[in-house]
Amino acid sequence: MTHHRELAALGLMLALAAGSSVVAAEQSQQSAGISADLAQVQRGKGLYADHCSHCHGFNMVSAGNVTFDLRTFPRNQRERFFNSVTNGRDNRMPPWGDVLTQDEIGDLWAYICTGGK
Amino acid sequence: MKRLLIAAVVAAFLPAGAQAQTAQDLAKGAGDTKNVLNYGMGYNLQRYSPLTQINKETVKRLEPVWNYSYDDNRSEESQPLVYNGVLYVTTNSATMAVDAKTGHQLWKTKVDYPPETPRIVCCGIINRGAALYDGKVFRTTLDANVVALDAKTGKEVWKQNAIDFKTGYSMTVAPLVADGVVITGISGAEFGTRLFIDGWDAATGKHLWRTYTVPAPGEAGSDTWPGDTWQHGGGSTWITGSFDPELHTVYWGIGNPGPFNAAVRKGDNLYTDSVLALDPKTGKVKWHFQFSPNDPFDYDSVAEMVLADIKVNGKPTKVVMDANRNGFFYVIDRTTGKLLAANNYVKVNWAKGIDLKTGRPIDTDVIVKARAGEKVELWPSILGGKNWEPIAFDPHRGVAYANTLNFGMPYKAIPAEYKAGDWYVGMDLTQGWIWPKTADGKDGPRGYLKAIDPMTGKAKWEAPSDMPRFSGVLATAGGVVFSGQLTGEFEAFDADTGHKLWHFQTGSGVEGQPVTWEQDGVQYVAVSTGIGGVYSLFSGDERLKGIPAGGSLWVFAVRK
Repeated sequence: MTHHRELAALGLMLALAAGSSVVAAEQSQQSAGISADLAQVQRGKGLYADHCSHCHGFNMVSAGNVTFDLRTFPRNQRERFFNSVTNGRDNRMPPWGDVLTQDEIGDLWAYICTGGK
Repeated sequence: MKRLLIAAVVAAFLPAGAQAQTAQDLAKGAGDTKNVLNYGMGYNLQRYSPLTQINKETVKRLEPVWNYSYDDNRSEESQPLVYNGVLYVTTNSATMAVDAKTGHQLWKTKVDYPPETPRIVCCGIINRGAALYDGKVFRTTLDANVVALDAKTGKEVWKQNAIDFKTGYSMTVAPLVADGVVITGISGAEFGTRLFIDGWDAATGKHLWRTYTVPAPGEAGSDTWPGDTWQHGGGSTWITGSFDPELHTVYWGIGNPGPFNAAVRKGDNLYTDSVLALDPKTGKVKWHFQFSPNDPFDYDSVAEMVLADIKVNGKPTKVVMDANRNGFFYVIDRTTGKLLAANNYVKVNWAKGIDLKTGRPIDTDVIVKARAGEKVELWPSILGGKNWEPIAFDPHRGVAYANTLNFGMPYKAIPAEYKAGDWYVGMDLTQGWIWPKTADGKDGPRGYLKAIDPMTGKAKWEAPSDMPRFSGVLATAGGVVFSGQLTGEFEAFDADTGHKLWHFQTGSGVEGQPVTWEQDGVQYVAVSTGIGGVYSLFSGDERLKGIPAGGSLWVFAVRK
């Protein structure tokens, strides 16, 4: 084994270890609320199919050239999502505030955060 | 004094007369090479021009003359009309008159609809064009209004609301003016609506008649709907009908039943997935023919009903032709409604064929299982063997040119619960599509432009494309067939071989309906470009990522 190869192998091991520890930490943090979250995602998926899929694509799959590709919606902009869904946007996205409750938009947000996977 | 008065009256009427398109003008539209007066380039919807300046030789020198921005980034599926050197075009957001030679805008009248409107539009924000008659431009709006504008100024003459849009009604259709009546259809079968065709007085907008496409209890055909299912039975009418002025009959295609789940509405579900022969003055149904009884597959039959006089078994026959979404090409006697031929023009697995005596499909296990709620592999998919994109028919070659679709889907019905304003389809929309594969396992073409023999459904030639074409087709006596790609190319093909002769990149996906006319010795071709229709929304085809939205109108002519 050359020096370079040793270094590369060490790097790979470190990367794998770091990755698995991050996953483990996330899992433990989320385990308490996981069943509630899944139910919310399922509700959101249903709402998405009924209200959103005819513009944003089945299962959120979209080329993003005609309507926003929701898989790329920034996960740290929850407020922006609520605002766009409630009030509409740019005279393209229609407002849904009189149809969907804030809880339902929360369900949609949970589904959007899965990226459709 | 009396003479003076008469002269004044005559003078007052002359300019209006020069501006008017009469019923006679409209009836002769198919042969009028100086104008494009009708949707479909003639009441027969043949989209065929006798012009020959653009032909197999000269098409190589076809060049853009001008481009006009629609200032709109929705799906541009509108067909331009041309009258006396002026193009009349529509988008969902405006109606425009443009000088045909220079591309200069003469007037533009905006359409305002409430921001909630797109919520109840199933398949793209679209308008398909206008109608001209008696100095007026007629159009529909997404929020279900019918509008008449002064053709000279764009000023509104009248506006009528067909129905409150909020529970699922929208209008994208180009009106038809037949025997002086403005006739409009409507969309919304995916929202649990019950739909119709309307007749309006051209001069005043007065509502003359409404023919529901789903009968109410007690009306003819109502026994094909169990219980209250007729109330949400669909039957949309979103593509312009054809018109035979001699028979005074309009032929209008009727859309899918609601919901897609057929188990909740056991019966034939008249008049969904049918063609209606109507009296334009009264809206009365003369006859009907149903293509897909108790349809589970959204085999919406709104698309163009093309009229032609062809020889059937050696006998000249007045027919109506339809490349139906269910995958069969139908030829029907348009005087009686009798079926003459029905053959598949794409891969079909839900029916073995069509019984020529009864007109009914011969079911396979696929449709039987689908109705019973089992998951099946379906060909063609719910987008059909051909969707809305209109065919052209060359009456001399006897060939129909159609942009066909080549994909299937896994289909499964699920329970549907009606809630006003919501989708009401009863189908699992998470199942995706079945894309074609080549023998060596690579991605196959998802569409073909085909030259089809109407009586056999067989293709004389086919021009494949990776992504299906969703534009209208235009045939010409010059032996050139025009079509467009979702990737932006406006294309010309040899009508006899399917060999591609020319193309031009328009800057966005072509979903428009090409037309051609002659002015001052020059043959022009015009087409709208602008992506955003049903395939771009539902296919999940990420190869479209690099095709920007953005609507505009291109006009081409041969370089001297």
